[in-house]
Amino acid sequence: MLLRLDDLRRHFGGVHAVDGVSLEVEKGSIHGLIGPNGAGKTTLVNVVTGYVRTQGGTAWLENDKLTGRPPHRIAALGVARTFQNIRLFGDLTALENVMIGMHTRLHDDTLAQLATLPIFRRDERSVVNDAHKLMETVGLDPSEAGRRPAGQLPYGDQRRLEIARALALRPRLLILDEPAAGMNPSEKQGIRELIERLNADGLTILLIDHDMRLVMGVCQRVSVLNFGRKIADGVPQEVSTDTVVIDAYLGSGAEKEAARAPGTTELRDLERARPALRRAAEPEEAILDVQDVWVSYGAINAVRGVSLRVAEGEVVALIGANGAGKSTILNALSGLVPIASGTAIFDGLDLINAKPSSIVRRGLVQVPEGREILGRQTVLENLELATWTRRDRAAAAKEIEAMMGRFPILGQRRGLRANTLSGGERQLLAIARGLLAKPRLLLLDEPSLGLAPQMVDEVFAAIDEIHRGGTTILLVEQNALRALEIADRAYVLETGQIQLTGSGQDLLHNPAVRMAYLGG
Amino acid sequence: MDFILQLVTDPVAFYQTHTLLIAEIGINSILASSMFVVLYSGQLSLAAPGFMAIGAYTSVLMGNYWNTPFALNLLVGILLAGVVGVVVGLPVLRLRGVFLAIATIGFIEALSLGVILNVPITGEGLGLKNPDADPLGGINIVLASLAVIVFLLWRLTQGRLGHAWDAIRQDELAALSQGIPVARYKMIAFVLSAMLAGYAGGLESHLNFFVDPTEYGVARTVQVLTFAVLGGSGNVLGPVVGALFLTTLPEIVRVPNFDYRDVIAGAILILVIIFRPQGIVGRGGLAIIRPRWWPKSRSSASAPG
Amino acid sequence: MGQQVLNAIFIGSIYALFAVGYTLVFGVLDILNLAHSAVFMLGAAITYSLVVNYHQSFAVACVLGIASCAVMGLVIEYICLRPLRRRRAPPIAALISTIGLALIIVAAVEQGRQGSIFSWLWVDGANSVSFPSGTVPNPTWHVGGLTLEATKVAIVPVTVALMLVLGYFIRFTQFGRGLRAVAENPRAASLMGLDVDRMITLTVVLSSALGGAAGILFGLAISDISPYIGRDNLEIRGLAVIVLGGMGSIPGAVAGGYLLGAIEVLALVVFGSNVRAGVAFAALFLMLVLRPQGLFGAQVHERL
Repeated sequence: MLLRLDDLRRHFGGVHAVDGVSLEVEKGSIHGLIGPNGAGKTTLVNVVTGYVRTQGGTAWLENDKLTGRPPHRIAALGVARTFQNIRLFGDLTALENVMIGMHTRLHDDTLAQLATLPIFRRDERSVVNDAHKLMETVGLDPSEAGRRPAGQLPYGDQRRLEIARALALRPRLLILDEPAAGMNPSEKQGIRELIERLNADGLTILLIDHDMRLVMGVCQRVSVLNFGRKIADGVPQEVSTDTVVIDAYLGSGAEKEAARAPGTTELRDLERARPALRRAAEPEEAILDVQDVWVSYGAINAVRGVSLRVAEGEVVALIGANGAGKSTILNALSGLVPIASGTAIFDGLDLINAKPSSIVRRGLVQVPEGREILGRQTVLENLELATWTRRDRAAAAKEIEAMMGRFPILGQRRGLRANTLSGGERQLLAIARGLLAKPRLLLLDEPSLGLAPQMVDEVFAAIDEIHRGGTTILLVEQNALRALEIADRAYVLETGQIQLTGSGQDLLHNPAVRMAYLGG
Repeated sequence: MDFILQLVTDPVAFYQTHTLLIAEIGINSILASSMFVVLYSGQLSLAAPGFMAIGAYTSVLMGNYWNTPFALNLLVGILLAGVVGVVVGLPVLRLRGVFLAIATIGFIEALSLGVILNVPITGEGLGLKNPDADPLGGINIVLASLAVIVFLLWRLTQGRLGHAWDAIRQDELAALSQGIPVARYKMIAFVLSAMLAGYAGGLESHLNFFVDPTEYGVARTVQVLTFAVLGGSGNVLGPVVGALFLTTLPEIVRVPNFDYRDVIAGAILILVIIFRPQGIVGRGGLAIIRPRWWPKSRSSASAPG
Repeated sequence: MGQQVLNAIFIGSIYALFAVGYTLVFGVLDILNLAHSAVFMLGAAITYSLVVNYHQSFAVACVLGIASCAVMGLVIEYICLRPLRRRRAPPIAALISTIGLALIIVAAVEQGRQGSIFSWLWVDGANSVSFPSGTVPNPTWHVGGLTLEATKVAIVPVTVALMLVLGYFIRFTQFGRGLRAVAENPRAASLMGLDVDRMITLTVVLSSALGGAAGILFGLAISDISPYIGRDNLEIRGLAVIVLGGMGSIPGAVAGGYLLGAIEVLALVVFGSNVRAGVAFAALFLMLVLRPQGLFGAQVHERL
């Protein structure tokens, strides 16, 4: 028994984020922790690692009590973690990031420093060597990537670097909080192999993630949280077939995903009821015409010569790994990020020089990746924001009512503050708000991101319905399978460039695409 | 321009005619180093003038009333500044960003208006006479100690503590996860900075026959901040360069009927922060404080969720 | 004692009006505009110059004075704030650039002497002056042992009216709704078609106008106009007020203003006049340490 949690409790205001959770992690195992958004997984980790005080119960790492200690003492005891939103030291090089992780293992060399004794030099060299080895362990090249500022590394490398930095503590327990978030299946496979390698060397790992295949495939035991309580605990097969778990968390679609253990070649049922329009060539008449656009963030060229077209009434998907530039393109189209070169015309409006407010008024509306709802205002006020620019307030009010009829759950919650909504409800709110802005082209940025599988079903059903209603959609999704299923056409983006394009169905069956994005 | 000419052609004469200026540069540089320490560890502390005042008044008062040697007075001043640094630091270091800045401004103003101007022993608004001052003799101490301080601080930044400060500055929570005792290290930086400022204050008082109570308020803190902004706070030399530049500028360029120093300082602050936020010496952009809960600016690879 | 209470109310009103401008900008932009105190001073100084040097009536001078401050708001936005937003600078940068502008403004007025390049603005250099008596009718009443000067009394309804109008504006108008949206999430507002830059500009202009108005009231009622009134008198008190009341909260700024006025008067009565200013800072310090979000502010939490 390496980690033992006994009846941990933590509430915030009235919300019981962690409500009497007990669990045990065996030494040398990979233990999974899953649950819907808001189930308390990250709070639990924060309690265990000392960032949040527990209000009851204890946590033990073998014979060391963790509860009641500050985070840096817990780290020194051998509990390392990564963060859900990457927290690297952006201005330090990758190598320096890893070396910071060795802080607890170095002697305090302050006095030696001040006298520049040569002993110190030797120490530093061994530190550098250790850091090199750690980077190699996670699959990064220390001489190349090691020198770059961590903030400029590609997304996948940053995730790996965070793991290397955590390993520098020589921990007894490594807690990984969504280490593969935003990665495509082949990148995830790489992370999975890394986890297995680390575990083979004897490291105990606690893994939190939403990806069923990853968790069920690599973990020896899985605990499931919901509303702050543990609702299941067992080996993957047991947990994924447990009806309580399925009801709470796994939607019907995901159940099939979870059941699919690695090594099987069982193909999913790909044909859906909705007939797909088999349009392969780019349309003649396009409402959105993007030619050879380049966008950069400082020194990095995030988008390199991308061209795409969207015709009225289409659903066009943009798929690709995280960091490929998909969201950047949407933000550039919305005028939030400057376009370095190329042309982008929407319904006659030059997007490069137009102000964001003009672009929206023209009908190019984005539902952003972060939802960006106003948490402190009510659901109704959030919807009203969408009609802010309208002159006819009465008509606007009617439309808002109609929208709440279309999404009844929003109507029910109309007077509540938006930050009390669950992840999926917020996404629906963001979509409803986007629709109220009267879009001629709706840009959807990662609508399924961070949502439990059940909510993903709901959101895609909503998108489908919107499309049937005639709205043109440009959809960016990391969930390539879902995106390609509903898309008329799609573009595949890699490192800022379009690699492939075709109809949704064609790409769905394309071997290269299946390999990279659909898991084979 | 003849100022520069003399410096280049006849350094010795230059030194002799401009001793006081050089001493002023030295003291401002030490102050700037004090600022460096807190900024490097991610704390926007504007408390330096307060600690200066403690160093100055303590050392002069001891000399006046007890006739103790200057070195001892100075030492006591530094230690007292350190102690006050701990007392002030304990409650205040939990604050981030702007709140810390405001709290430290509160401290220096409270000290200035509440104590200095009201406690009779300090001479209140009239200041304190310092008959033991040694304007010309002090300069060697100033320059020598400046060199030592800069060297020691540089070595500090190259070692474990310095790297930890660097990490703390960028992301306190991540630093904690790597076992760095953030609160303790921040306090060390704060107290070190207080002692350096106390030292500078004590030295400054030794070079003048009069301790001026108006020297230790917000105006002084803005001045020191300007050194750090102009020079850049990513490197030990940055604030020193800033101090050098800004202290000498009024000597080189004089405009009749117009004390333009503040206008220049203001313009420098605006221009530097917009066009070269890392300062003259610079290192990697304006990373001085970027607490995570401020509205986030876009980073190159943002994580989902 | 009663007289002191009255003074607390008068001075508290000015603090509140000043702080409202501060907090307005903080609420929308999440930055502290340290040029606000310089604009406060400018309002008083320009109005004074217009009355004394250019022989304008007080009413005209007031209007022009406030208008000038509004224009200075434009300067603040275009020079100190917008370039930093464009460069995605952290909020501390705006703190520094506004400090810089404040230095320039104060220096310009300070250098205003006969024959200097700023003599069109101000000719009294570093001196403290006051409006000549008769600028504004100022009858004095004696009621129940209390002395009531009309100018001081007038502060209260004027400031209260201004704050009520502002409050109504923010709560109930379309613009105010948009402002609140921008304050909470500028990206969301932008994605819904609001012109965020324009709203920010209007906010800074409005805030500066309020600051200038507060300065005029101060100059009139306290009879003290000098280049330093912003920096020495109001700046720190403004900070204390918004810390007490909660940064970003307008009701907080109002409550904080009167609270500080009360604390100062209390200290005056208990400790004597010397400690007065120190008390404000002590209060600020204590509040920051015990409850950094102030009375009405939102709790500041780092999300992991």
